[in-house]
Formats: sequence, C-alpha cells, structure tokens
Amino acid sequence: MNWNAHLPALLLAVPLFGAFASPVLSPFGRTTRNALLAGLSFVTLLVSLLLMKSVLAGGTAVYVMGGESTGLALPLGMKLPIRIIMEVDAFSAFMAVCGTVASFAGALFSMNYMDKFTALGRFVSLYFLLTLGMLGMMITGDIFNFFVFLEIASIASIGLIAFWRDRPEAVEASFKYMLISQVSSMVFLIAAGALYGKYNALNMAAIGGLIKPGTMEKLALVFLVGTLAMKCGAFPLHMWLPDAYAEAPSGVSCLLVAVSQASLYGLMRVCFSLYGVNLGGAFIPWVIISMGLASMFFGVTMAVVQHEIKRLIGYHSVSQVGYMLLGLGVGMLVLTDARGMAEYGFTAIKGGMFHIFNYTMYKALLFLAAGAVYYATGKRDLNELGGLARRMPFTTGMFVIAAAAISGLPPFNGFVSKLLIYESVFAVHPALAVVALVTSVLTLASFVKVFQTAFLGPEKSSFTAVREVPAGMLFGMGVLTVAVLVATLFPSWTISNLVEPAAKALVDQAGYIGAVMGGGL
Amino acid sequence: MLGTVYTGFGYWDVWSWAAFFAIAAALVLWLRAQGREDYKEGTDQDEIYWSGNVVPEEGADITVPASSAYWGFRKAMAPFYKVLTEMHTGIGTDIVGCYVVVVALMAVFVLM
Repeated sequence: MNWNAHLPALLLAVPLFGAFASPVLSPFGRTTRNALLAGLSFVTLLVSLLLMKSVLAGGTAVYVMGGESTGLALPLGMKLPIRIIMEVDAFSAFMAVCGTVASFAGALFSMNYMDKFTALGRFVSLYFLLTLGMLGMMITGDIFNFFVFLEIASIASIGLIAFWRDRPEAVEASFKYMLISQVSSMVFLIAAGALYGKYNALNMAAIGGLIKPGTMEKLALVFLVGTLAMKCGAFPLHMWLPDAYAEAPSGVSCLLVAVSQASLYGLMRVCFSLYGVNLGGAFIPWVIISMGLASMFFGVTMAVVQHEIKRLIGYHSVSQVGYMLLGLGVGMLVLTDARGMAEYGFTAIKGGMFHIFNYTMYKALLFLAAGAVYYATGKRDLNELGGLARRMPFTTGMFVIAAAAISGLPPFNGFVSKLLIYESVFAVHPALAVVALVTSVLTLASFVKVFQTAFLGPEKSSFTAVREVPAGMLFGMGVLTVAVLVATLFPSWTISNLVEPAAKALVDQAGYIGAVMGGGL
Repeated sequence: MLGTVYTGFGYWDVWSWAAFFAIAAALVLWLRAQGREDYKEGTDQDEIYWSGNVVPEEGADITVPASSAYWGFRKAMAPFYKVLTEMHTGIGTDIVGCYVVVVALMAVFVLM
C-alpha cells in the first residue's frame, strides 16, 4: 500500500479519529487523555509535513473519496467531477503545515493548562474537531465541502470559546461568534448554491474552468469574499474576534489563529483559483487592499489602548491580517498584468504568504505566553501585573522573541515578511507602504507596553509565590519559538522551500484546474 | 546563502546583520566598561533616584500601570478614539448589521 497516495485522507482521518476516540478514552485517566491529545496532534503534524514533501516532489495531489480509484477525478464519460475531491497543491500543503504546527503547540500547552478543569474529554474532542475543520478547509477541492468544514470549525470554535461557561464573558463571546458565523455561513451557502445552479458543479477546479464574469458570478464573489474576510478578522468585520480570542482558553486561541488563516486561505483560493483571471477588474483586489489597510491601522490603534493582555493580542490579530490582505491583494491586482506581476506582484504575494507562516507562529506563541501568565498569576489585566521576568524567565524570553517578531524588529522573521510587503506595495502607491510602516511602529509601542508592565519593573508582593509554568506548557511555547527562530535565521531556506512553491501554486490557476480536469475543458 | 533574501529592490542578509550587531554591541559594552572616574561604590551614588522622593518599598507603588501608558498619545487622539470605541459596541446585532451593510455595499459597487 502506498501511504503517500493516502496522505490527504489521513490528514483528515487522524484528527477525526481523535475527536471520536476522546470521549471513549478520556475516562481512562489524565495520562491517556493527554497522550491522545499530544500524540495524535503530533501524528497530524507529521502527516502534513509528509504531504508537503510529497506535493513539492510530485506536484498537486488529487484524492477522490469513494471512487473506484483515489486518483481518478474524472471517470470515463464524465464531463465534471461529482465525487468529494481533495486537491492539495503547494499552497494547501503550506497552510496545512502552519495549521498543524499551531495545533500541536496548542495541544502540548493545553495538557497542563487545562488540568484543573473538568469535562476535558469534551475539550479534546472539540479541539480535534476544530483541527479537522481547519485542515478540511485547507485541502478540499470542493466549495460545498469547504462550507461543511467551515461549519465544523465554527461549531467546534463556538463550544471551545464558551468552554469556561462559568464566565459570562465567555458565553457572550461565543454567542456573538455563533450569531455572525451562522449568518455569514448562510450567505456563503447561497453563493455556493448559485454557482452550482449555473455551472452544475461544486468542484472549484471545474467551476474555475467554466466561470464567466456575469451578474450572478459577481454577487457570488462578493458573498464569498465578505464571509471569508469576516472569518479571518478583516476590518470592519472583525468585531467578534477580540472577544472570542480573549475568552477562549489559551491553547484554543493558539489554534484559532491558524483557523482564521484557513479562512484567509479560502479567500485567496476563491479569488485566485476559482475566479482568477475572471475576477472582473480591479474592484475586488482594491476591496481586499482597502480592508488590509484599514485592518492594519484600526486594529493596531485599538490594540495600543487595551490593558487586558489577550484582548490586546486579539486586536493585533486584526492588524496582522491586514498585512497579509495587503500583500496578497496587491498580487491579485496585477494577476492579469505579467509585467506588474514580475516586477512587484509576485514579491507581494511571497511577502503575504511568508507573513501567514510568521503570523501563525508568533501570534500563537503570544497567546500561549499570555496563557502562561494567566496560569501563573490568575491575572489578565496588565494593570495588575508586573515584575514577572524574575519569576518566569523562560516565558519572558519566549514572549520577547514573539513580541520582537510581530513588531517587525530585525533580524526576526516578521521583519523579513514585512520588508517584502513594504517594498512591493510601494510600487503600487507609497501610501500603502507608509500605512504598513506606521502600523509596525504602533505594534512595537504596544508590545513595549505589555513587556514593560507585565514582565519588567519591581516585583509585586502578591507575586512572590509565582513560579515558572510546567514543562508541558514551556514545550508547547518552545515548538513555536523554534519555528520563529528557524524562519528568522534561515529566511531564504524558508522562502525557497515553503513560501515560494506556495506562492507559485496560488497564482497558477491553470495548474489548479488542470490537476482535476486534465484537458477535459 | 541560507540567510539572504532578495526582495527585488534590495536584499536582507541576517548573518551580515548579526555580525554588525555583534560588533556594535561589543563596542558599546567596551565603552560602558570604561565607566566614570568619579564613581565610588557604596556611596549615595548607588541610591535609586526617584524624582527626589523616597523610593516606596512596594513595587506596585512605583509601577506605571498599563492604563497610564501613552496617555499623551491617547489624549491627543481622543476624538479619533471616541469614534473608534463607539463603533465597537460589542452588541451582537451591531456586529451582524455591520457584516450585512459591508456585503451589501460591496454588492452594489461590484454591479455598478
């Protein structure tokens, strides 16, 4: 049996197994539950790495569920694919690697972090379901299945955000997320249904090969873009995000960072692969660029004045998503302009793509560090914190690395991806780069405040009993710190082996369509 | 090289930066090590200067709380923050309403 051929299915099967095994195995005790959580998260990470290796070596992987052969997307005599198809190109595989690293780190962290709470069987189950939903969104080739995985991720998120249901704020945050998720999911479903009604297909590659710009197609595009932009936290659709990220347990906030990137992935897949050259002008790219600019600036200005640590980091998520939208939006703007693409468009896409990787790692690390502070002190309000660097040196060190990376301080990885974005978007208009630079300065100011108020200064008498967090939590943060440092010290290797293949796959609409349809259309 | 990234407009080399940083740090540390000739250990020169006041024993009394950080920035930007915070009502229907309005506006403009 060639396991390589089944990696796309395994990537979904492993967390799905974990989700169903958890309620059965959790009664056997803490060790069994933790082994299941960490073990299966690690296996999922390994599968995603193998899938990335396989895709880089052999090209786009197409996996047909329930067919005569897993590789036969278009059976003889069929004009359109009808089965559930997973299509994994370098972009999907790249996103899956980012997501599984965050999921593994969050799982390791949660083993100790959640220890004093009950109903952990359900927690593990929902955690795996959220991982499954995220990975499904990243590798499915079918727009209806994208909706299904989006719903799985939403439902799991709703449960996990309200996991500490004795906190009214957590229940409220979860309810708000449920409200906006359900409305937007219905809008997404209307768009998918409209495309199906017209083109008789749900496979994105098949629709991408047939689509012609018309009124319905434009409305469907707006519905898809609006929903996915809301899900990834773009301004002004971000209002659910700070509440949700702040109230979820920190291991979950870490995974939610990657889940929001799955929505960003969906947004880019719709714009580049489903519509591609049929986007119908510069309106949608400019909408995405404008959302990016507004997210960056308004997200960071809201973050600067926060004094609740996770809420502050949550607003920074809005701001950081703006960088990716800006970079990828500029790439989208010159999708049909070969010269512009060669001169700056592809660099902007690479910058946006590298920022996805960097953001997932350092933002997940920041949430875990904030969780470690909460675990050790029981406080989240920066006004009540101070002097923790003496008591929590490892957490402090890792927080500093993540804070420097998100602030774009050289030599950290955040600086490199931002540099690619600054220089390329400057070619469209200098104002775009100016907004990005100002955002970076305010990001630094914001994290200087967090570092100064939480970790520096004289020790407070109430924290004399505070100790460094347990090894499992440090190990979870350590995984992400290593990822940040690898991307910092070896940016060229990271870009050549992870980012550039993903960027090339994203702009290659014909390749995405051809992998499923062959020469069929 | 593993550390060099070409941006199309220039390049970034992490190892060159690290070498420059190490040289600059060594120079700064050397200068600092020269110290001041008039410094005398164990005198009032070792005392913490806290605006001429007695330094409180409790750390919390010395710390500038996060809410007071960048107060000048927030005061100067007060009208901007008034609009921005009023937008963030936190009410569920407002969040959904904002989504509906944005999608509707995009739909109108895309069809124009």
